[in-house]
Amino acid sequence: MRSQVCYEDVKEGEEIPPLTKEVSTVHILMYVASVWLMDRIHFDHPFATKRRGLPGVVAPGNMGGDYYAQLLSEYAGEGGQVRKMSFQFRSFMLADDVLTVGGKVVKKYVSEGKGLVELELWIKNQHGVNCVPGKGVVALPMQAQT
Amino acid sequence: MNGSLLEKLGWTKYIGKETGKYTGEPVQARDVRRYALAIDDPNPIYTDPVAARRSRHVGTVAPLFYVTWAVGVPGAEKSAKELGEDGLATFVGIPEIPNVWDLGWVRGGEELEFFQRVHVNDEVTVKGRIVDMKEKDGKSGKLVFVTSELVYTNQKGELLATHRLTMIGTPRKEAGHA
Repeated sequence: MRSQVCYEDVKEGEEIPPLTKEVSTVHILMYVASVWLMDRIHFDHPFATKRRGLPGVVAPGNMGGDYYAQLLSEYAGEGGQVRKMSFQFRSFMLADDVLTVGGKVVKKYVSEGKGLVELELWIKNQHGVNCVPGKGVVALPMQAQT
Repeated sequence: MNGSLLEKLGWTKYIGKETGKYTGEPVQARDVRRYALAIDDPNPIYTDPVAARRSRHVGTVAPLFYVTWAVGVPGAEKSAKELGEDGLATFVGIPEIPNVWDLGWVRGGEELEFFQRVHVNDEVTVKGRIVDMKEKDGKSGKLVFVTSELVYTNQKGELLATHRLTMIGTPRKEAGHA
């Protein structure tokens, strides 16, 4: 467990601890099976490549939302909260990609007694392409409250 | 360009259209556990009620983004034959538009605000509304952007999350689905 980050510790411009996600066909299969997402481009290689012209089976874009949720939840810690996140799908995350899920503090401010931190987010593949650029807002505890 | 695709489809009158409320079956511990494995998120609050309580929750919680799946995808619960060759299905919470499968759809973007966690055994309700439609000229023809806002609540009527989802439609040729 990481120690709790407090609002006062945060500096604008700094990066937060990233996650590395290796998204295999097994992860994709687990995901689509657990939520019953039957879209064939996620598990049928000939369909994805020959019919849809994709380079291979692709991870559901939704998984990017889960990766950001984990990134921000771990950053906010037990004493903080993930308030908002948003993201756009720009490039497919492909099976066997190694993804770096990261973020940078763009702004911090206090609103209604809460320490809020705005972040710019990325999910970069092994070629450095930001597949799912995003933004997030977390509330962090103040030192006096911990 | 050869006129508005949205007008040709007759869709603009659906901006503001709402769905009824749809409530899913109770969130299953097994589904949440498997989902956490699929996304490789090792936090024990998703699998262990004792760890969840130690961490200020009243019981096992679902990963934050699971709220978007918590009501299920009844549109996809069909036999393999009925599902159709691409396996695409409509999502509850997105209002129906006529002839929606005349276009191929990809996810454009999402915007979420979180208020309360989803817990195992919760019954989550979704209600949706189309909030915007736009079109643009893309590289290979017209693109249509349909943005819906979905509101998720639990069995106590508490607000869990709001979710704006933008789907991008293109005239069918090389439809995919992110």
